[in-house]
Amino acid sequence: MSNTPNRKSRRPPVTSTPASSNRWIVWAVLGVIAVVAVIAVVVVAAGGSSDDGTAAKGKPAKFETAPELTVDGTTLPRFETGSRDTAIGMTAPTIDTVDFSGAPIQAGGATGSPYALVFLAHWCPHCQAEVPRLVDLAQGGKIAGVDVIGVPTGTTDQAPNYPPSSWLAREDWPFPVALDTTKTKGAQAFGLSGYPYFVFVDAQGKVVGRTSGEIEPDQLEGIFQALAKGQTLPLPGAGASSSTR
Amino acid sequence: MDHVDVANTFFTILTLLANAAVIVAVVLALGALVSTRMRELGVGVLTTVGPSARLLAWIVATVTTLGSLYYSEIANFVPCRLCWYQRICMYPLAVILLIGLLLRDRRVRWYAAPFVVVGAPLSLYHWLVERVEFFAKSSACSAEAPCTVPWFQELGYVTLAFMALSAFLLIGTLLAADWGAERITESPTETEMSP
Repeated sequence: MSNTPNRKSRRPPVTSTPASSNRWIVWAVLGVIAVVAVIAVVVVAAGGSSDDGTAAKGKPAKFETAPELTVDGTTLPRFETGSRDTAIGMTAPTIDTVDFSGAPIQAGGATGSPYALVFLAHWCPHCQAEVPRLVDLAQGGKIAGVDVIGVPTGTTDQAPNYPPSSWLAREDWPFPVALDTTKTKGAQAFGLSGYPYFVFVDAQGKVVGRTSGEIEPDQLEGIFQALAKGQTLPLPGAGASSSTR
Repeated sequence: MDHVDVANTFFTILTLLANAAVIVAVVLALGALVSTRMRELGVGVLTTVGPSARLLAWIVATVTTLGSLYYSEIANFVPCRLCWYQRICMYPLAVILLIGLLLRDRRVRWYAAPFVVVGAPLSLYHWLVERVEFFAKSSACSAEAPCTVPWFQELGYVTLAFMALSAFLLIGTLLAADWGAERITESPTETEMSP
């Protein structure tokens, strides 16, 4: 072995020695974590959770999701924004489910009049923005000739703005409601890919347009008017096709 | 008693403590630039915390990792795309820092630092996506696991993304403390320099 001087002698060693004298701070931190855990249990047990109260208050409905839902007909392909909608011209499937009170309700298929299914998630801020627009249009008589059915879906009591029944009641939702299952069976039958989701169907039960995302009131009004008159729907986005395209 | 409520409260308090620790560290670091007393105070804190900083950073990374797994596997909060990117940055920290501790390798902070440097901005971006429409860049919520909608929000701003951001910042602060403490212990004192 040579005694060649180490040229890196000033460089600190890459290994460290234990600093047992300062280990008290580690135990202090672990102690703090344990104390915080106890505090969390006590706070929640005392009913003082620091939840900011985003969940809606009020008496919940009998059902927030459908215990059972049956689908009749062909499932629509998944809606993709920006591509030609292959569901146009297909017969809308029919779902048999219940509303918030548990009363049976059927949505989809041919009803003899044009209608729109509006799929809404209570936790989705875009749905929360869209619902008042639909309510305003209905109260202003601007949805005449078109039936609207709301489909609360994606429902989970772990997410904000639960339950959907309280949310829609708060918004004075004037339309019938057809509940989806917790596994969104109904939404999948209509090809939902995002919220809010609209499926527009003519009186013969043919899909004439689908779109996902918020729609401004003026455009929404134009869509409903076109749907009532059997005209091409002025849907937003490249994927917004209608039966006459 | 809902275990998710307990977890939310537990991790929210830890988040606030992490924020407090980072703020104190930043104040000390800035104060040291202008005040001798603050510098002495900072050196005192570094001398106290520094030798255990890597162990503390590992504890933070491990608690964060376990919390993340709790929310996805037990509370069934499905992680969104941005959540996964943050996980990619956080989970290795729990492993890398542990190996560094076992090998007593001080260079581990440099191996860990890139995960913090990438993870913290990701968490900040996710938090902004949740809160600011400009960052969301969409008028729809994804049907799978939307990045725009937090699973919960405590105190009006503490979400899972904010918790992750707080953890990344605290780990980064502790790694910086580890580096600072090493520099202090290696710097020749005035006594050592005098003949």
